[in-house]
Amino acid sequence: MTKWIRWSGLIGFTVLIAILAIFWMFAAAPIIKFSIEKFGSDAVGAKIDVAEVNLGFNPLVLSISGVEVADKSAPMSNLVSFENAVADLSLFPLLLGKSIIQDMSLEGVEFGSIRKISGALEGNDEDINPEVVESSAANQTSVSNNKADSVQDKSSGPSSEAIPSADEILAREPLVTITRGEKFKLSLAEHKKELNESIALVPNTSAMKEYQNNLDLVMAGKLKSVEDFKARKKALDKIKVQFKIDQKAIKRAQAAIKSAKKDLGSQWPLLKKAPGEDYKNIKGKYTLDANGTSNLTALLFGDDAGGYAKTGLKYYEKLSPLLASDEEAELVQAQQDKRLTGSFIHFPTDRPLPDFWLKNLSFSAKLPLGEVAVVVKDITHQQDVINKATTLKADGRNMHNLKALTLNGVLDHRNGQGKDTFDLNIQQWQLQGLNLGLAGLELNQSNLNVQADVIFKGSDMNAHGQGQFSKAEFSSKDRTVLAKEMVAALTHIDTFVVSGKAQGELASPNLSIQSDLDNKLSRAFNKRLKQKQSELEKQLKQKLADKLLSYSGDYEDQLRELNATEGGLGDTSKAMGKMAKAEVSSYEDQLKADAKAKADKKKAKLKDKLENKFKKLF
Amino acid sequence: MLGMLANLFKVLNSDASPGQVALGFAFALFIGLTPFLSLHNFIVLFLVFIIRVNLSAFFLGCALFSLVAFGIDPLSISLGQTLLNLPELQDFWVGLYQSDFWRATKFNHTLLLGSLTISSILFIPLFLILTLLINVYRDRFMKWFETLKISKLIKASKFYKLYEKLGA
Repeated sequence: MTKWIRWSGLIGFTVLIAILAIFWMFAAAPIIKFSIEKFGSDAVGAKIDVAEVNLGFNPLVLSISGVEVADKSAPMSNLVSFENAVADLSLFPLLLGKSIIQDMSLEGVEFGSIRKISGALEGNDEDINPEVVESSAANQTSVSNNKADSVQDKSSGPSSEAIPSADEILAREPLVTITRGEKFKLSLAEHKKELNESIALVPNTSAMKEYQNNLDLVMAGKLKSVEDFKARKKALDKIKVQFKIDQKAIKRAQAAIKSAKKDLGSQWPLLKKAPGEDYKNIKGKYTLDANGTSNLTALLFGDDAGGYAKTGLKYYEKLSPLLASDEEAELVQAQQDKRLTGSFIHFPTDRPLPDFWLKNLSFSAKLPLGEVAVVVKDITHQQDVINKATTLKADGRNMHNLKALTLNGVLDHRNGQGKDTFDLNIQQWQLQGLNLGLAGLELNQSNLNVQADVIFKGSDMNAHGQGQFSKAEFSSKDRTVLAKEMVAALTHIDTFVVSGKAQGELASPNLSIQSDLDNKLSRAFNKRLKQKQSELEKQLKQKLADKLLSYSGDYEDQLRELNATEGGLGDTSKAMGKMAKAEVSSYEDQLKADAKAKADKKKAKLKDKLENKFKKLF
Repeated sequence: MLGMLANLFKVLNSDASPGQVALGFAFALFIGLTPFLSLHNFIVLFLVFIIRVNLSAFFLGCALFSLVAFGIDPLSISLGQTLLNLPELQDFWVGLYQSDFWRATKFNHTLLLGSLTISSILFIPLFLILTLLINVYRDRFMKWFETLKISKLIKASKFYKLYEKLGA
């Protein structure tokens, strides 16, 4: 029998095993560190840094310190980080390549802490959200400060602009009154210029008097000689030339007036209508009726509710893929391999052995609200093997302004689709100085009880939440009409319920927030609004009328003036025509009269002569 | 390939007993056909090291059966799946599944169970057949074979010389 035994082989085998064991003892910790950083980073899509890994053998304890998991979308901040983690490992499964951790406790857990160096993986730049990077890089303070900043940002946001005053509305809206008014103003200026230029050429009263004097001079006395006649004719011709020039100027001025009257006359009715049109538009846009107030809840609480949900969803989206079973991926990989790998078939057991199983994870996280103790059980990517869902329980401890906070979650990925449920319960949350982001409104104080639940099924989500506010007190620093009216309306409301829903695709769920505050506000607000709306309408009308006046000015006076000028020009024109005609006819009359007088004289002479001759005959 | 052939003839023509050579090949079935990183292979290696089996035959067999495995893996997986899902055996598997040791053997892996079953079934027949064949070869064909041109060609090859030099 002993001839079949190879003693050298036995020694060699023992030595080989010993070498492997010693190598494992020394190399295990660095290999674990490398594995966490390499494969963890691949899974999360951002850097995972581990400061140190220690492996104790009796008992088998893994200690990991200085872990920072970078945020893929904001590489200058951490998704989560912790100072120290101690895990009790099971030795036998570890020898089989199974990481079964009985208990793991984390210390110094922080969410969203700032990193010193970027946590982006090379070639992953396209996933980075530049806004988040900017904000996280700029903000080197704590999470609580972030919250404060966001509140501050919100307060400096659209509060005073949400529903503006009449002046603000008029300043903000594209008014046809302004458009038409500007056009009218421009036309008026052009016509005025043309009128001034043309009227400047028209002879005025003194010029007309001078004309008359000159004419009188030319016409005074009798023509003494042909030279006198010629001299007077020359002077008359000169006056005639000037007459023609002046008449042209009068005609130009008359044409300018006609054109101005026609152009401005056509623009004027439209300009007059403009304030009415503007008022109609503005009224339609800024309806402050009950329908308008139904959106107030979303305006008041939408940002906060959306913000919390967004943060929650962000963490859920990061964690959910890690819990999904990778059996399908294994199958695909198996098909791709040249040599088939087969698959495991699992049987019912009290002691299941998945590849990774963290049975009990406990840590406490410091949040702005206080300390939250979290216990997560049965973390594994092979829930079908252990036939258990991952459960989460978070309890608030030493919370500020909050009596109780509990969050329970069940992440069940035993079936292909997966179903994750969470329910949140907050009791007696004493809200103080909560900026509501609308019209400078602030919830001075209120007690809030929150009950919310959310179900994620595959890529769909269905979330319901209800917040019961009591002992609510509101105020506003804004001096806008809306702010004052809101505060006046809210004074009588101290309890209300806000409920929200988010349903549909996880990436873009349909969100809705409703509240009995809408109805309460509607009633209180409608009454005030009707009153205030008529005031606002009146103000708007007045302001629009003022605007119209600023464009038209004393258009109607000017129109009267134009008409008067036109009439005056007509008179001047007539007078000049008369003067010209009178002068010509007088001169001819004089010539005719002279000729007639001469003829009459000659005639009388001839008559006398004839009478004398006849007398001599008879 | 030529090296493997040279090694085969070297083993066949060596002084090693036919049983040791055949056992080396038979143990190689497990290493070649089943997934390497398994507990049973650790045991097989332990046995190969302490039992005087021909190591050349063992390593040659590992290489040969690893190539064969590519062809019979689908059959192994199918067999493993069938066995693991066989209703009559469910209690047996469930019983084994409760034990850490048996779990460590990865018996519930379709490829491993199938290939291990095939290896186990073939182990003894292969040992016996190979022992018989090696004896027959050595008695009747070895001298005749050494006179063949191909044998001389192999012996003249640098691989053969290398193997001889290394004393494989």
